[in-house]
Amino acid sequence: MAADDQFYREFILDHYKNPRNFGRIDGPDITHEEYNPLCGDLVGMDFRIADGVIEDVRFHGRGCAISQASASLMTERLKGMSLEEARRISKDDVLDELGIDISPARLKCALLTLKVLKVGAYGLAGEEEEEDE
Amino acid sequence: VVPFDIEGIHPHDLATILDRHDVSLRAGHNCAMPLMHRLDVAALARASFFLSTTRDEIDRLVAGLHDAKRIFA
Repeated sequence: MAADDQFYREFILDHYKNPRNFGRIDGPDITHEEYNPLCGDLVGMDFRIADGVIEDVRFHGRGCAISQASASLMTERLKGMSLEEARRISKDDVLDELGIDISPARLKCALLTLKVLKVGAYGLAGEEEEEDE
Repeated sequence: VVPFDIEGIHPHDLATILDRHDVSLRAGHNCAMPLMHRLDVAALARASFFLSTTRDEIDRLVAGLHDAKRIFA
């Protein structure tokens, strides 16, 4: 089951053990954190935005391999992406990238990061609209 | 009832792997979130034993724990 494990695939374990873009950004343009009280998983993301483009993104948190690998993968995908594009990332995009057959019980682990992104990205839009008024 | 964790393996991952060995255990806050915060742990796995538990079941638990350690080594 080890190396060819269909669920704990090598790249998922690698992202879990060596998370990319892990840490905080000083004075981020957007910061948002989501916590799942049922399982104790926590994922937060800090964004630096310039001209509607995600210049830098870092995540922090703790949780299972799936939740943390999903966050790490997401930060790699987001760098250099426009906020507009980022808002369009769907549940299926996230699951496709993980590429594993995930059980309903573990779905929330995989999608916690997406929730952070969605609330974070739309939260900023709200503020901009307020400033326009 | 034995709550435990293994360094470097989140209890949910442990439970997923033990499931493959036909061992069910509870993982997460186990309805004891204040205690988890007090202990400063994200989650714990929890194995329960009863009079009806067989030696074979315990062997499967041990095999599953070794399997998990191998996957996350």
